[in-house]
Amino acid sequence: MALAPQRSDAPRAAAVAPLLVVNDVSKKFETPDGVVTAVDHMSFDVAPGEFLAVIGPSGCGKSTLFNIIGGLLDGYDGHVTVAGETVKGPHPSIGMVFQEESAFPWRTVTENVAFPLEIAGQPKAQRIERARHFVDLVGLRGFENRYPAELSGGMRQRVAIARTLASEPKILLMDEPFGALDEQTRLLLGDKVLQIQDQLKQTCLLITHNITEAVQLADRVLVMTYRPGKLKRMVAIELPRPRSSEIVSSDAFGRYVAQIWGDLREEASRGMHDDETLRAAQK
Amino acid sequence: MAETGRLTAPAAPLFAPVTLLRAAIIAAVLVIWELVAASGLLFRDVVPSLSVIGRALAELLMDKTYYWHLGVTAGEIGIAMLIGGLAGLVVGILLGSNKLLSRAYEAYLYYLGPTPKIIFFPVMIMWFGVGPGSKVAMGTISCFFPVALSAAAGMRQINPVLIRVGKSFRASTWQMVTKIYLPAMRLPILNGVRLGLGVAIIGTLLAETKLSNRGIGFLIINAYSTFNMPRMYALLIVLFMLSIGVNALVGRLGGVDAVKK
Amino acid sequence: MTARAQNNLVPFALGLGTLICAVLLAEILIRAGLVNRFIVPMPSQIAGAFHRVITEEDIPHRFLVTAREALWATLLLALVGIGIGVLLYRVKLLRDATETWVAAFASAPTVLMYPLFLVIFGRSEKTIIMMGFVAGLPAVILKTIEGLAGTRKVLVNVGRSFKLTEVQLFWKIYFPAAMPTIFVGMRLGMIFALINIVGVEFLINFGGLGQLINDLAERYDLPGTYAAICFVILVSVIFFFLTDRLEKWLRPAA
Repeated sequence: MALAPQRSDAPRAAAVAPLLVVNDVSKKFETPDGVVTAVDHMSFDVAPGEFLAVIGPSGCGKSTLFNIIGGLLDGYDGHVTVAGETVKGPHPSIGMVFQEESAFPWRTVTENVAFPLEIAGQPKAQRIERARHFVDLVGLRGFENRYPAELSGGMRQRVAIARTLASEPKILLMDEPFGALDEQTRLLLGDKVLQIQDQLKQTCLLITHNITEAVQLADRVLVMTYRPGKLKRMVAIELPRPRSSEIVSSDAFGRYVAQIWGDLREEASRGMHDDETLRAAQK
Repeated sequence: MAETGRLTAPAAPLFAPVTLLRAAIIAAVLVIWELVAASGLLFRDVVPSLSVIGRALAELLMDKTYYWHLGVTAGEIGIAMLIGGLAGLVVGILLGSNKLLSRAYEAYLYYLGPTPKIIFFPVMIMWFGVGPGSKVAMGTISCFFPVALSAAAGMRQINPVLIRVGKSFRASTWQMVTKIYLPAMRLPILNGVRLGLGVAIIGTLLAETKLSNRGIGFLIINAYSTFNMPRMYALLIVLFMLSIGVNALVGRLGGVDAVKK
Repeated sequence: MTARAQNNLVPFALGLGTLICAVLLAEILIRAGLVNRFIVPMPSQIAGAFHRVITEEDIPHRFLVTAREALWATLLLALVGIGIGVLLYRVKLLRDATETWVAAFASAPTVLMYPLFLVIFGRSEKTIIMMGFVAGLPAVILKTIEGLAGTRKVLVNVGRSFKLTEVQLFWKIYFPAAMPTIFVGMRLGMIFALINIVGVEFLINFGGLGQLINDLAERYDLPGTYAAICFVILVSVIFFFLTDRLEKWLRPAA
């Protein structure tokens, strides 16, 4: 599916009706040190079949945004709509993959993946078969009856992804799913994600702090500022699809990374400065 | 795999030093016992000879009424575990899931837990009569506390991300409890049940020794009042074997889960 | 008041409030005749019985009797329990052979042997003390072993680097390092001992506080029985609380 080329500062997607709309969302938190604005009037959309990466420095409010879109957080201004419906709690059209390891340790791989189908009340034979399909899709064939403790970290994250995919969400929301993995595993899993996305035409929103990952996987990259989190820049990644991890060595790739790092660096150093000031004040 | 140059084969488990020492200790205890029994050092009937105890044990195991009494006690304990265990589970889950409730009430459970429950027996008799009811009540209040406290602690140690997964798939409260909370807590709960079983056995049996006309506790105190020492030893041996065995069985359930941890 | 103090006050008030409400409810229900007053005396009656029980039944003396029994049991636990624990730790073969037996013993209903002890020691304090001792013994042994086994290797190496003999190594390094865990074991042992001491006092109608409850129950002094039970619970809770604080003070990291 080809997207119309974007001007890099245009937040809106192509002419097709967007699947996800984040409209003027702001979220403040009360902390012992005063009111902190995690997300500040953010607006953007995601088109059907698009892969959007949201990148920002640590502490910029990305996870807050993730929880808001996923419906796990309320008390914010603005609204979020998916497929035309307002999000008021976890929405059936949104699937979430969390940062921490979240495979249920007491269920086998297949039982884990079948979980959303079980919740939805599908009969056993049917959901086992559907689950097997997704276990296969993420490349875990042969491990259907293993327990998560017997798998590697990357495999466990694949179980979590398969489980979310099994609920066939219109949009897949991921919060730094590969954060705990080493670089090589991450690149290979990135390949897997690209494969899956291509096959399913899955719309994805990925929260990450890893620039390589963002450029490798995404059609557009949204750069967030440090707190308060605002949209700093939207970068269209015009690398050809289908992609693979080999792309990381291309010149175009390098240019995008450099461009995004330029923006991110400023924000990241503000974050670091804040952190140091806080620690100095605590002494 | 060819092994050359070995003078002896590797020790078979049967003759490992540990096993030998255990056998030696048991043998020594039995020998000393028999010597004391034969010497008449202590009042003769207090230390009956092993053959006398053995005979009493055999008689007991072949006695139909013994099994009836065992059934009574087992039934009392079973019902006590059911009521106390379920109540403990519900209360524990409630306390563990809600910070306010936990801070308001859990301390009461924590400090009331290690108290001698048998002193409540007169009250239990008043409320539930002199029959099995008061024994079941004793067992119930005994096992309630360890189960509730373990369940509460168990709730708090659940990995928070697992709860978020359940919420993200819009699981109902019942589904959250049965498909996420309980499975995630199975080890702490199992431990709590194990402890609860131990104190339920004690509570129920002590109540039977105090005031009852049936059950293993009754048989024990009956043996005491008729000064039938061999029978008392036989009963105690059987009781200890059974309760250690049941405890080990419940513990095993936790061991099987180790691969899933 | 500060936000934190307010934060702590609400749950405390909730807990205490619920308790008070329950007591008030009981009072109302019994006065109204909905609950039989010959089965559950009115809380006001129980409160009234407190003073009577304390003065007429010579509670201070009884408390001392129970305390003395507990003290003897504790002494035995310390000497025999820690001693056996040390022995098992030092002789590895013995430990490997018997540790699981001790653990199994810990889960066994040892207090059910009280009729046996009655025969051996008679209806006396000896029976009560021995029952308390036996109840607490496995905990002390196991925790002693655990404490000694858990001595950090680096501390042992420090001792070795100063060329301490095996005996010195044990008394100057292993034992002190194990003290916090041994204390935990002693506390557990003392709690089990106290529970069993009061319980056996009740069962054999001899001794201090436990016997008091049995006595009052047999006299059908209902308010007195309830009051005595409350009193014993209070003592038990205070004991548990004090030793809990002591343990936390000794092992802040635990």
